[in-house]
Amino acid sequence: MTAAAIKARGAAAGAATLEYVRASRWYGAVIALNDVTTTVGPGVTGLLGPNGAGKSTFLKLAAGQLAPSQGEVRVLGKPAWGSPELFHRVGVCPESDAFWEGLTGMQFLMALLSLTGFDEAQCRRRAEAALEQVALSDARDRKIGGYSKGMRQRIKLAQALAHDPQVLLLDEPLSGMDPVNRRRVVDLVKRLGREGRTVLVSSHILHEVEAMTRRVLLIHNGRILAEGDVREIRDLMDEHPHTVALRARDPRALARAIVGTPHVLSLVFGAEGEWVTVQTARPDEFYASVHQAAVEAGVSEMYSPDENLESVFRYLVAR
Amino acid sequence: MSASPSPPPSTAGRDLGRPVPFLHAARAVFDLSLEGMVWSRRSLLMVLLLGLPAPLALLFRTFLTRLPPRVGAFDFYGVVISFYYVRNALPLAALFYATALIADEVEGRTITYLLTRPVQRAAILAGKFAAYLVTTVALALPAVVVTFFLLTTIHGRTGLGALVPELFRDMGVVVLTLVTYGAFFALMGVLLRRPVIPGLLFLFVWELLANAPGYLPRFTITAYLRSLIHHRPPDEGMAEIFAQVLPTALCLEAVGGMIVVFLAGAAWIFSAREYVLDQ
Amino acid sequence: MPIYEQTYRRYEARAPLRTVRFWPITREALRLVLARRAFLGLLLVAWGQFLFRVIQVYVVTRLPEAGRVLPIDGRMFGQFLSIQTLFTLLLSIFGGAGLIANDLRTGAILVYLSRPLTRRDYVLGKLGVLMALNLSVTLVPGLLLYLIALALAPEQFAKWSLAWISPAVVVHSLVTSLVMSLIALAVSSLSRSARVAGLGFFGLVFGLEVVRGVLRALYDRPESALLSVQADLQSLGNALFGVTDRAFQLPWAYPALVLVAVSLGCLAILRARVRAVEIVR
Repeated sequence: MTAAAIKARGAAAGAATLEYVRASRWYGAVIALNDVTTTVGPGVTGLLGPNGAGKSTFLKLAAGQLAPSQGEVRVLGKPAWGSPELFHRVGVCPESDAFWEGLTGMQFLMALLSLTGFDEAQCRRRAEAALEQVALSDARDRKIGGYSKGMRQRIKLAQALAHDPQVLLLDEPLSGMDPVNRRRVVDLVKRLGREGRTVLVSSHILHEVEAMTRRVLLIHNGRILAEGDVREIRDLMDEHPHTVALRARDPRALARAIVGTPHVLSLVFGAEGEWVTVQTARPDEFYASVHQAAVEAGVSEMYSPDENLESVFRYLVAR
Repeated sequence: MSASPSPPPSTAGRDLGRPVPFLHAARAVFDLSLEGMVWSRRSLLMVLLLGLPAPLALLFRTFLTRLPPRVGAFDFYGVVISFYYVRNALPLAALFYATALIADEVEGRTITYLLTRPVQRAAILAGKFAAYLVTTVALALPAVVVTFFLLTTIHGRTGLGALVPELFRDMGVVVLTLVTYGAFFALMGVLLRRPVIPGLLFLFVWELLANAPGYLPRFTITAYLRSLIHHRPPDEGMAEIFAQVLPTALCLEAVGGMIVVFLAGAAWIFSAREYVLDQ
Repeated sequence: MPIYEQTYRRYEARAPLRTVRFWPITREALRLVLARRAFLGLLLVAWGQFLFRVIQVYVVTRLPEAGRVLPIDGRMFGQFLSIQTLFTLLLSIFGGAGLIANDLRTGAILVYLSRPLTRRDYVLGKLGVLMALNLSVTLVPGLLLYLIALALAPEQFAKWSLAWISPAVVVHSLVTSLVMSLIALAVSSLSRSARVAGLGFFGLVFGLEVVRGVLRALYDRPESALLSVQADLQSLGNALFGVTDRAFQLPWAYPALVLVAVSLGCLAILRARVRAVEIVR
């Protein structure tokens, strides 16, 4: 894709691509999604939650496979349910491992591209391009029934990408992949996001999503717990103390220097003797105040072990 | 993984504001479904079921002098068409394939791929129905033709010319039977979660009403179809007592109406239904 | 005090295997099948004839003249079991079509065979389900009917000349149930779809019956009965219960041989199809 096309795509898609307006969905007495109002725009957004949180329902509403019991779900300005023309611009990678096993990878992609309205020559060209994107060109003429788990996952991804969609809905796209292919897919997803496409990735594996994006939507029990940048969410969690780990040449001198400051809540020495782990209620003030002490004590390393998705999520779920 | 070669423009001649044209979509689904229907183990069973009259006709012809039959060759052909095909084998074949048009995709969890394409759901159903029809017609018609010629040329080709129009008529009825029952069972397939037992009850209980007196036969499918068959076998058992032959025009209108109503109903239900696959 | 290393210690004891290893498969599958209301309805309908026959026995014991129209003898039991054969067909479709097909489709067969179970245990377990279902509409009501007849009309039934009825009921029920169960299982193992397997089973059994009808219309020879499993079972039943039927005039050995051949064929299919892994070429 040329730079101009990327820019044009990004500009055209500038506004929200997916809109949920007081959307609820229930199955009998079970509420799968409860009064959700949110938007998802261009770039990669991680949809996170434990099993049964409502992620699949959220994704299926956007994919037009379910109608909301209440409220609205719109994709590119149109209702998701009952608008098949949306799928010219939407690609869906479902979670279930299901295929027409007798078809080869190439036949599978060409059949679905034909269903998307392309003629045979275009189907062939696009199928070949998609296979190359997911590194399955060598296996194109093998039956899907003989593919490994990772290959099956990649061909599923290929069918979602082959028609060059503006919106991608990926349900557990890394499931069953080995680390090398995981890395490739993560890079692919990041590139798709940079191109201005709206990519919604659903997963319950936090570090996978962290590798792809910092923008997340956390779901639990059918409700949105939090949405936005992971760091911003973290910063907004005033009640929960931040943990900072420092590695110093003289950890006890560092401890003496910082223990007296009012925003340090607790201080623990590490087992190896070089580390000091501090809990602080106000991380920005802490970072500002620790600078001089860090230089004098010879701090060589500093990081925040809970400025990650897992700790954010665990804290929010436990609230 | 290498960077993708720059793809052609996204629209590529498509109208992104509308679903893919009905015929193009149906054709794509037809192509996708046909191979799976034809080259499958279930089709082997259908070959046996629909092709069986041909070896029976060969048996009849081969053992004609050693095993004198109770009925004449052409009457046997009548038994094959009206009793074996129209009343039993073809409706069973329709039940076998047509109830599974969408259910197979749901069971195999491949329905998601079809429902996330820019196609109308009615086009998906149309493509699958066309694949079913081509498969069953391709299995049944050759057997009918072979059976006809095996039985009518036992004593040479004298009089064959006069019988050939009957063959064409019977082939038409065979196709109509497959279309009508196919449409009915396609409707049952999208309406009911487990259509097999109700389908069997319909075929072997409800359709017996065709042998009843009065207006009751008009509530069945088989009464219209067997009225379209010209030649009647000599001994139809219970059916002989109350057998009604309905006017041809009425039969064609009724059958045509049924096909339209059943298929339209199936398309409407399929379009409105949600398919939630348990993970 | 010495501190001992907490390393891995090999387990030396012997855990005896269950003798009846297939029983949990049968038990759980039966539990699943019997939890379906529609299936319980089918079972109820299948026992309808039993009620009718009980009333018949009661009426005949009170009004002996009615016995001329509806005689209470071995033939009644033969007719009773012959009609119940139709219900074994429906039960086999409903309860048996998906027994192996679903396991092949979902890969659950791997789960079974990764336990200390042989393929034989697996097949026996599945066969147990169908046998239990089929016997519940043949053997159980058949023997119950016999006991009720014995209780209501002991002067008629407590005779040596009719003592053969109960063993005949047992034999016919077992043969019918076993043959239908094996065919249903074999067809189920040939498909990954319960629906296809159910229809295939029905098509096979019923289709052969239709062919028999066609051949009978053509030649009216008793040998045509050999083609149909239902007709073979009917012939055997006629021989067991002393029923004379023009359509089934073959010596019972021939239908019995056909049924044995069919059963062995089904076992061969099961042997070939029940495998943990399928090679895709």
